This record gives sequence, C-alpha cells and structure tokens, in this order.
Amino acid sequence: MFSQFIDPFFETVYLTIVPLLFSVLFGSIIGTVIYVTGSRLILQSDKKIFRVINRVADALVNICRSIPYLILIVWLLPVTNFLTGSIIGTKAAVPALVVSATPFFARMVVIAFSEVDKGVIEASLALGGDLKDIIFNVLIRESKPALISSVAVTAINLVSYSAMAGAIGAGGLGFEAFQYGFARRNDELMFIATILIVIIVFAIQIVGDTLAHRTDKR
Amino acid sequence: MIEIRNVSKTFHTNGEIKAVDDVSLTVADGEIFGIVGYSGAGKSTLIRMVNQLERCDSGAIFVNGTDMTELKGEELRKKRRKIGMIFQHFDLLWSMSVLENIAFPLKLAGMPKEERFKKASDLAEKLGLKDKINDYPRSLSGGQKQRVAIARALVSDPDILLCDEATSALDPKTTDDILKLLADINKEYGLTILMITHQMETVQKICHRLAVMADGKVIEVGTVSKIFADPQNDLTKKLIQTVDTGLDVAKMAQELKEHYPEGHLLRLSFTQETSGKPLLYEIAKKLDISVNIVSANIKNTQFGPLGVMYIHIEKRVEIAAIISELTNQGVKVEVI
Repeated sequence: MFSQFIDPFFETVYLTIVPLLFSVLFGSIIGTVIYVTGSRLILQSDKKIFRVINRVADALVNICRSIPYLILIVWLLPVTNFLTGSIIGTKAAVPALVVSATPFFARMVVIAFSEVDKGVIEASLALGGDLKDIIFNVLIRESKPALISSVAVTAINLVSYSAMAGAIGAGGLGFEAFQYGFARRNDELMFIATILIVIIVFAIQIVGDTLAHRTDKR
Repeated sequence: MIEIRNVSKTFHTNGEIKAVDDVSLTVADGEIFGIVGYSGAGKSTLIRMVNQLERCDSGAIFVNGTDMTELKGEELRKKRRKIGMIFQHFDLLWSMSVLENIAFPLKLAGMPKEERFKKASDLAEKLGLKDKINDYPRSLSGGQKQRVAIARALVSDPDILLCDEATSALDPKTTDDILKLLADINKEYGLTILMITHQMETVQKICHRLAVMADGKVIEVGTVSKIFADPQNDLTKKLIQTVDTGLDVAKMAQELKEHYPEGHLLRLSFTQETSGKPLLYEIAKKLDISVNIVSANIKNTQFGPLGVMYIHIEKRVEIAAIISELTNQGVKVEVI
C-alpha cells in the first residue's frame, strides 16, 4: 500500500528542493539588485542608470509573478527542452518552477532588506564599508531571520506548485492525489497523499521557524 | 583639523530645501566643537558632509588637509575609517555580539580576525565593557549601547570623531556619563570632536567652541564661555535661556520684582575669568554696601564655573558705580 507513495513522495521533495536552490540563488541576486538600485543611501549617488535598472527589474518581477504557472509551463516548453532535453517528466518541471518561484523570492528579499535599519547602513558606510560589505555584512546578516522565513515560504509555495507540474508528467504527491485518488475515486489514497503533503509543509515550516528564531538576536 | 569652506546643499525632494547655505567653519585639532540648532537647521546634513555621507553641491571640506569632496571609492572609504562617527540611535548591528560590533570597522578594513578581536577587546575593557563583549546589543541599556558605538568609532584610531545627537536618546544621568567619556577621550587622545545637538546643555558641558545654526546658516560662532555670557543673536539667547535656569528668564525677573518691589535687581552673567574670584565680596567691601544674592545658577563647564546670578541691592545705593565695577571685571550686568 505505502510503496506506491514512495516515488511520488521523492518526486515532490525533488520538485521542491531543486527549484528552491535555483530560486534562492537567482532571487537573491535579483532582489539585491532591486533593493540596492533603489537606495540612494547605499549607492551614494542618484544616477539615472540605477533608477532605470531598478524599474526594469521591478517590472520583470511583477510580470513573472502574474503569469499563471500552467501558462508558464507551456510558454517555457522550448527553454525546458533546451535545458533538460525533454518536455515531460519530473526534471522538465524544474525550469517553470524556478521561473515562478524566483520573482517571488526576489520580492521577499526586497522586503527583508527594507526592514534593515537605515541607520545601521549609514553607520557601516561611515565606518568605511563598500557595497560588498553592505550587502554581505549588513543587509544579509541583519535580515537573516527574515530571509530564512522567506526560504521556508518559497519552499511551501513550490510544494503546492509542484502538484500542477503533474500536467507535464512530473509526478509528485499532488498529482498522485488527483490522478489516482480523486479521478479513480480512491478516497483513501487521496487522503493519504494529501496528509503526506501536509506533513512536508509542516516540516518545512517548523525547520524554517526554528532556524529563523535561532538566528534572531534582536 | 576640519576646515569647512563655503559649503552648500539643496535637497530637491518635495520642492527645494536649502539644507546648508554657504557655511564656513574651522575646527582646530584637539578641540570639541558643538553645532547647535533646532531640528531642520541643517546641522545633520552638515555633519554628514564631513565624511561625505552627504555630497556637497558646492564648497570644500578639508580634513587634515585632504579635501573630502574630491575623494571617491576606496580613497574615500580609507579616509572615512579615520573619521569615527556615533549616532543618536547607536546604530549597532543587532546580529553581531558586542565584540564583533566593536571590531566591525577593522573587519571592513580587512584586518585578520584574531588581531581585530584582540584590539576590540582591549578597547572594550578600557571603556568598561569587558563583561559585555559576548552579549548582543539587545541586552544592553542605551548608555551601554552608546559606549559600544563609541568603542566601534575609536577602534580604527580615528583623528576625528563625529557625534550626531549622540546623547539625545539618553536619560540625563547617562548623558552625563557619555559626555564625560567623550571629554576624557578628547583629553587622553587629543581627539578632535565635532558634535551636533539640539541641547545647549550638552554643548555647555563639554564643548570648547560652538556654532549656532538656523535655516542652513551659521548665525553665531565663538567660545562656549563667550557665547553663554554674551549671546548676540536672539535664537542663541533663546537656546541659552533653556539652560540657564530651566525657567523663563522674563518670568524669573517678574517673580523677583514682585518679591523685591523696593531697591535694585541686577542680573549678572559670569564668564570663566571672573567666576573664581570673590568678586561681589570685594566690590561690596570697596563701595561699603550690602549685596543680597537672591538667585544663582552656576554650572561647571570645560572652563570651570559659568553662570547667572541675580542680586538685590538696597534702594538708597547708587548702582552706577557697582555696574561699572562689575563690567570692568568682565561680568555682564543687566538691570531688571
């Protein structure tokens, strides 16, 4: 009975962790670019080029966040084919998941950085810090609890998105619950698959909260 | 030495605001210089121009001979490391321990971990923070936080310390402790201190010289003793009066007049040259009159006692001679 959940379980884990790694990496970069180009204090300049970069990156994030995930999968088919060599299966769901989770995480990064005390940024500049110092020693360090929570929220989003990735044969618990549980009227199977998803979500939230709490020295 | 030459700065957000308007000031080596004014006077922008957190529209700022307005990039950051700065809200990194906070500027300068922690803990010990070095800022009091901020500002052996309303968020007792610490540092290291504050009392306690700012302009500059004894500008007078007695001077005069309807009431302002002497006694003896001190407010400053005294003299006495005697001794006399 339970053996049939093993594959979907690991598919869901895969569809959460792999896109999460890419989204956190790209999202951090994009979020940092948006925050820094929007801060006259950090740049110590108000050149027009920075404002342009800021607007463009900001708009890009909003656009990508508005496209429904299923549409994104369809639009990205050529890219997916190029990157993974296939347009179906678990791996093929990753690019679309990354594209949908990256702007979300980028926005969370901007919000987390905005919470950092401007006075601390100013003090760090006064003490001789450069842009690299401000990003790594001040922004990321001071907003670490918020960033950890953002990773957790993004991971949970990916768990729910991954259910839709079943449309291109990615598998996963969500697809299992729908295809074999709901469509074949196997209530028990649907229930167990759903419970497993709930457990994954809880696990992510608990780990996220614990880590965030531990790093919070405020 | 800090030499501010004709600097101006206009902000263009929400219309045009001339924050700093053609200001020139010189702060000598080893001096504690205070800039006083109400909020919005431009003092905050001015002090940020010294380390170029705010760029100037025009003018030049020389710090030990280097024009700060010409510096960029790494050159500017190197120079900033020689200019310490402390802030009203301390601005410590909450994610770092006290030791890490103090060592932070050295980290920015690329000093190896062991070396910078050694230097930071030596300084922490000196400032009475030894048993706090592993704590995080959240567990410190306001005064302790400012001590950590001072240590952080001093750790890279700066030539100059900028204080941005450094005691405005502290209670009176803690304020005095921090001011005393700053005065001690100034004496021990010969550190030049430039501070801005809206509290005249702060300036009176530790500054050698001060400038009063209003609407982006410097309206009065001079030694603390001179400005307190003989303020020229109305705003300066207003600022000083809040310190003098903690009371409204006009109200004080009114009350004394009601209390002493007969005779003469004089308001004497003492400067450091006169306060040490038994001046009133000498004059009273010389002119053979009796002088009644009805109210006195003498404060200790960097230069010794300074203050204001109200005296009452009997009606029959001719006060012209007393006024001229006192004026000759450098006391400012006003008849009320």
